[in-house]
Amino acid sequence: MQEQAFRFGRARHLVGIAGLPSSAARETVGVIVLNAGLVHRIGPFRLHVEMTRRLNAQGYPTLRFDLSTIGDSAASGESHTRHQQICADVADAMKLLGEQAACQRFVLIGLCSGSQSAHMVACSDARVAGAVFLDGYAYRTLGYHLRYYVPRLLDVKRWLGVFSRRRAQQGSGEPAFTVAPLPQAVVRADLAGMLERGLKLCLIYSGGISRYFNHARQFRECFGGLVRHPDVFTRFFKEADHTYILTGDRNRLLEQIERWLAQNFPVTAGASS
Amino acid sequence: MSARGEAELPFYFGPERALFGLFHAAGTPARKAVLLCPPLGQDQIRCHRLYRQLAQALVADGVAVLRFDYYGTGDSAGDSAEVDWERCLADVATAAAELRARSGIDQVFAFGARLGASIALASAAQARFAGVVAWDPVLDGRAYVEQLDALQLALRIDRARFMQPRKETDVAAQWLGFAISDSLRQQIAGLHFKRPAAPTLLLESLPPDRPRAWNGFVVDAATIRSLQPPTPWDDPRRLEVAILSHPLIQAVTQHVREVA
Repeated sequence: MQEQAFRFGRARHLVGIAGLPSSAARETVGVIVLNAGLVHRIGPFRLHVEMTRRLNAQGYPTLRFDLSTIGDSAASGESHTRHQQICADVADAMKLLGEQAACQRFVLIGLCSGSQSAHMVACSDARVAGAVFLDGYAYRTLGYHLRYYVPRLLDVKRWLGVFSRRRAQQGSGEPAFTVAPLPQAVVRADLAGMLERGLKLCLIYSGGISRYFNHARQFRECFGGLVRHPDVFTRFFKEADHTYILTGDRNRLLEQIERWLAQNFPVTAGASS
Repeated sequence: MSARGEAELPFYFGPERALFGLFHAAGTPARKAVLLCPPLGQDQIRCHRLYRQLAQALVADGVAVLRFDYYGTGDSAGDSAEVDWERCLADVATAAAELRARSGIDQVFAFGARLGASIALASAAQARFAGVVAWDPVLDGRAYVEQLDALQLALRIDRARFMQPRKETDVAAQWLGFAISDSLRQQIAGLHFKRPAAPTLLLESLPPDRPRAWNGFVVDAATIRSLQPPTPWDDPRRLEVAILSHPLIQAVTQHVREVA
């Protein structure tokens, strides 16, 4: 199988790489991987390249692409909100992959801001059958605070170090480009709506977001009984960092995603490359 | 969409169409052509935006540009662990030929940052470059390998990244997010440059505390130009922060404009 490069979209402003297994069946879902922050489509440390190629080997058609103004993609020239533009870009991506691989349903995968983009589209586009949220929406809970503060309150060494660290950190801040998170109640309602529409959801969070998420139990603390829904899968990779900088961590993440896809969206017989 | 975007064509080329490239056609018949040789590893991701901006600035000057990924990097075929120095040099020659064919210009210049500059310098004769612009090239391979090893070891206990320190085996055989082979390590450790094989402009922006290895390499001091502010190539706190530099874009476009 060979990957193909495309310039596509309603204004031919998007750039993406499609992996097209030779005999993918119409019933097989197409997998679309969204930008993580401002990193172009290859993903942090080439995560998206490894991911899409492994999924191609399993028989899934894939597309990794740059949203408008990120990576190699240009602006569309429309006066859209960022929300409208992301939904329109992903719609363009689904159209392209549908034309190239004949798939009609799609799974979106996104890390960090990519997870937010996937969430946005999964809320409203009927072609989305599932989503993998990597370090997606999360909220500090009472459990989080207890797990965070109690060990620290009892640690004398840590108390001694607090002041010196504070001094060292002063004035070393980098400008941060972040997206304001949606309110917790809105995200809960969104996820419930997705499940009602039959979507299957995979939430994988890492130890790299320990500033606001620090235990597998926190999925339930954040989202309540939703996480017990049979179509919701959660996993906390405590040892990994936010962008999976270590090859072993990346491998474990990709194995998990492959397993989840195989269980929830099996490739139709005879569709492997 | 702008005509500029339409003129940026992504494609695969080379033997078995294994290399990804993005050709920036000049709006008018091109007068010159520049091949942008990317750095390796995380530097390649950090510089992606800058390389695109540089390509667009050159195109605005009537210069045709090709950006590409070596085998085992970016969108090109191959795994990260398969990156090989000799293959990188061969890929540069392949990309230079592709640029000549697409632009119709035989006189091709090369630009590279860090190891991308080293690769451009090492492949200058094979790729028949008319000149090279080298931005903070790695000229002392052994020192560079030691530096990357030290950064990788420090990563193991980076509390800003990991909740718990990682085992040494977890971080082995990698440099800052990318698997590396023993052969690539040895190839880079063995790098040593004396005289450039093509007219070279050396743009230097290393932080003041970093050792310079330019002595003994550049024969004419006039071919060195300093850029400000210093570029934080090796600051682990900025490992995932893009490298951007307007002075760099101005210096390269001006140089390409002025060379015969």
